[in-house]
Amino acid sequence: MAAPRQVLADRLRLGGPNRSFLGSLTSVDVDTIAAISTGPGAGAIAMVRVSGPAAAEILLCLSPALERAPAPRTARLVDLCEPDGGEIIDRAIATYYPEPASYTGEDVVEFACHGGAIAPRLVLEACLAAGARQAEAGEFTKRAYLRGKLDLVEAEAVSDLIDARSRAFHRAALRQMERGLSTRIIGLREGLVRLEALLVHHIDFPEEDDPPVALDVIAEEAAGVVEKLDALLVTAPEGELLREGALTVFAGRPNAGKSSVFNALLGEERAIVTEEPGTTRDALEETVQLGGFPFRLVDTAGLRASEGRVEQLGIEVARRYLKGADIVLFCIPACEETSEEDRSFLQEITAPVVLLATKADLVEGYQGDSTGLSGLAGAVRVSAITGQGLDQIRQLLPELAYSELVDSQGDEPILTRQRHVRLLKTARSEVELFRSSLVGGLPPEIASTHLRPAETALEEVLGVITVDDVLDVVFREFCVGK
Amino acid sequence: MMEVRYDVIVVGGGHAGAEAASAAARAGVKTVLITPDLSRIGQMSCNPAIGGIAKGVVAREVDALGGVMGRATDASRIQFRMLNRSKGPAVWGPRAQCDRTLYPVAVRRVLDELESLDLFQEMVSDLVLEGPKVIGVRTRGGITFYGTAVVITTGTFLRGRIHMGQQTGIGAGRAGEAPSVALAEGLEGLGLEVARFKTGTPPRIDGRSVDFDRVERQDGDDVAIRFAAYREEEVPDQRPCWVTWASDGLKKVVSDNLHKSALHGGEISGRGPRYCPSIEDKVVRFPNAPRHQVFLEPEGLHTTELYVNGLSTSLPIDVQREFLQTIPGLENVVMTKAGYAIEYDYFPPHQLRHSLELKAIPGLFFAGQINGTTGYEEAAGQGVVAGINAALKVRGEDPFVLRRDQAYIGVLIDDLVTRGVDEPYRLFTSRAEFRLLLRQDNAVRRLGPVARDRGILSAEQAIVLNDRLGQEERVIAWFRDTTLTPADVDPLLAEAGSEPLSGPVRAIQLLKRPRVRARDLLGASSVDVGMVEKDLATGVLTAVEVELKYEGYVGRERERASRLEEQSKLLLDHDLPYHEFVTLSYESREKLSRIQPETFAQAARVPGVSPADLQNLLLEVRRNRSEKCVGS
Repeated sequence: MAAPRQVLADRLRLGGPNRSFLGSLTSVDVDTIAAISTGPGAGAIAMVRVSGPAAAEILLCLSPALERAPAPRTARLVDLCEPDGGEIIDRAIATYYPEPASYTGEDVVEFACHGGAIAPRLVLEACLAAGARQAEAGEFTKRAYLRGKLDLVEAEAVSDLIDARSRAFHRAALRQMERGLSTRIIGLREGLVRLEALLVHHIDFPEEDDPPVALDVIAEEAAGVVEKLDALLVTAPEGELLREGALTVFAGRPNAGKSSVFNALLGEERAIVTEEPGTTRDALEETVQLGGFPFRLVDTAGLRASEGRVEQLGIEVARRYLKGADIVLFCIPACEETSEEDRSFLQEITAPVVLLATKADLVEGYQGDSTGLSGLAGAVRVSAITGQGLDQIRQLLPELAYSELVDSQGDEPILTRQRHVRLLKTARSEVELFRSSLVGGLPPEIASTHLRPAETALEEVLGVITVDDVLDVVFREFCVGK
Repeated sequence: MMEVRYDVIVVGGGHAGAEAASAAARAGVKTVLITPDLSRIGQMSCNPAIGGIAKGVVAREVDALGGVMGRATDASRIQFRMLNRSKGPAVWGPRAQCDRTLYPVAVRRVLDELESLDLFQEMVSDLVLEGPKVIGVRTRGGITFYGTAVVITTGTFLRGRIHMGQQTGIGAGRAGEAPSVALAEGLEGLGLEVARFKTGTPPRIDGRSVDFDRVERQDGDDVAIRFAAYREEEVPDQRPCWVTWASDGLKKVVSDNLHKSALHGGEISGRGPRYCPSIEDKVVRFPNAPRHQVFLEPEGLHTTELYVNGLSTSLPIDVQREFLQTIPGLENVVMTKAGYAIEYDYFPPHQLRHSLELKAIPGLFFAGQINGTTGYEEAAGQGVVAGINAALKVRGEDPFVLRRDQAYIGVLIDDLVTRGVDEPYRLFTSRAEFRLLLRQDNAVRRLGPVARDRGILSAEQAIVLNDRLGQEERVIAWFRDTTLTPADVDPLLAEAGSEPLSGPVRAIQLLKRPRVRARDLLGASSVDVGMVEKDLATGVLTAVEVELKYEGYVGRERERASRLEEQSKLLLDHDLPYHEFVTLSYESREKLSRIQPETFAQAARVPGVSPADLQNLLLEVRRNRSEKCVGS
């Protein structure tokens, strides 16, 4: 079966998958765009990319020595000048990718020029002077999508790949760009097409040699599809966490050593540490990778009844963070006893709580798990001074926040976007309705009204399907026709 | 040379031609049907049956539009079955076994009732043109018929060639009838694209040579259900069919002789339908199927001949007899007619508008197998639409187009003109996005009023229609407004295995319960049926019952349909310069300029046009419009 992007948009609805792109299109002209595609800052090489019908023309305009566009996909050393015989601005490698075999599907020229503050700027300005327009953010990928070079999921993955701030998110985005998720969704859609085909065989060919597949077998297959959708959906909460990082909040009495552990995990003196209780007033947030997974570590003001206005505000902020936390690191110095207040505080926390018995270097033989606190997700003896327990935290936190993903070892596609989650949830609920109506004894053609909306939801993630897809399956698999 | 003038000229007298002529004549324009053999009008060239899944709904749609097929079927049917009765009523398919002799007699009788229709026997050999327009036809005998619109319904006759074994193909339109070669050449000469399809028929046998103890008898069911809504025909006596199974013996004979098959020996190049495969195809494609079903269908009341449904073939005669005799019950069978394959010209239907008028040749309409379809019902459905549009052209009115959510005929024609065909096209329920809306029970409700309002029902039909719709309304109102008490209905609920009532409840709520039937609720003792007639027209109660029972699901389909309808409101100009739309893929530009979709919704259905292309199309169209505005 053809990939969905090649398949007819039989049931494409306006306002479907790519409305946001459409909405942001300001110009309908097919112009040529250019941008510096490498990041700012010092570097030996920078890349200026040009895409659009005038790309080759611009290349020739900037390189008077060239008589014609160089051979496709071949690096060529050129002297670049300002248009109309201006002075030489750089010596660069130019590569020409004629359409459609380019990233955007249009004619593309890439200049690998010298890096730094000036050279790339000059090359870009020369391109603009020669007729290109400054590209908007993400416009090359947008064009690749509109030209059908990428499906929507792949296009999203490109942007994720660029934004990735953790190894795990990078891996998820890469999988997605390599069509891991697309392939999975196509597979699910094919599962639904097959269900439809089984029903079609049931409905349209009642007098055939092959007995139709029994309805309860069809219902079972539907249950299989639901299971697969669930397997994807189960990655969603953690997948979405990958984007921003799991919110991990330090809490505990003042002077419990929160900031010390915070700094130790970051590997820098980010928070001010003193022996004075209540040093930390505002909340400090830093993103850190632990075991390749992203965490937003937040150091907060210690909780106590305080007279100080600033400290009170700090405590308020801390409570807000605690409400949204994915994990709470509750710090108690190893030498202190747990109190009734600690217990009642912990009862208000819904996120998993890890007890950190801090300043462990001060107490010999202390057992961190004999605190009498219940419902803990873990307990670690930790010392910011000796480094004791830090590795244990680094291992424990990913297991807590990303248990599904840690287990799957990154080979399985992961849902990292609300858009995917919402559509897959729709598909799941429709397939489940289909299954339960079949089992409940509704006529198959009535039950099947749930299949199309489920397919549409999956298609909306990537592309669309035709009725012919269904009949093709029927004709491939059954001997029909008397 | 003789010259005659009509408004509409219909060429061909098969199922498409009869319906086209009847529709045009009902619309009140002066119509002539020209065919080489008047005694064969409405001939059933393949199996003697009308209807089936989806096709039966089309037969009812043709009838609801005032057509011939429903009446001819009722008047000639010798067995009736409602296929899919074990499934929900939305996919029931009425199917009638017909008497092969009575059917055409009935068609002729129905046509003869039409005052503004003349019949004429001659072979048409050429079109008369004026500029790009068709203004008439010439016959082989040299008569010229002038008309505003010409409907061509030549079936398999255009350069038809019959194949049986490896005998060189014999030119024929149907077995024993001459093909139409001159007209085919004339049409091709107009610059139309032509292609070839093939189809086949099975052998027929003498019933006296069948051992009926060794085959399974299959009787019909409910005779009371009718295809025709506007007129009750007298239904003939009923006859059984028989079923038997071909297995290893037949497989061996067919495999051993494959090289002699015209279909498999390379004699035929045209493509055949996957869903009506020859027995050669079945044996080759599904070598592991243990057996193949074979239906023995009576050809008529006054003949012992049987039609061997399931064994369409192009093997030589001796091989046909040999494989027949391997089948249980047919060991000593006498074959009366051999099966054959037929290859014929069709005109790829993307060349048509939804009105079935040729895009390139105003005044010329095509309907039936000439458009690459197969099946009597598909042909008849196109015939009605072409006939209506030919008449509307004469009257200078807008074309008559059925939507996909309105009729299977709408699905059929939209598929033809939008997607084209790469094998002979047959309808299935799965081709319709909204099959819950397109039911056999509501055909009259869906299409009767449309037909009446466009003036294509006879006065008599319109009266029956209004009466029937009134009945339906009253029954619906009764179910919505009537409150039933436990005493009224608990006994019948118990019988349906349904919970007894705890208090009074609306009739419609009870109807939505599984197994509770409208008839029982209306008939419950002590229930006041108010304005509802005692003798409801056939089918009224079923129509209301299905509509109300599945109201929720039907409503959901309607909602989806109306969302799609939104896209149909975005009209695309006929002269869009698709080749200049460089943001679209090359393939899409080609396809769109070939199809010239009329709406954005239709463009979305063109195969090979990607979602990205559609977005770009939208932008290009906007740009095109704004440029036009600037230019003007």
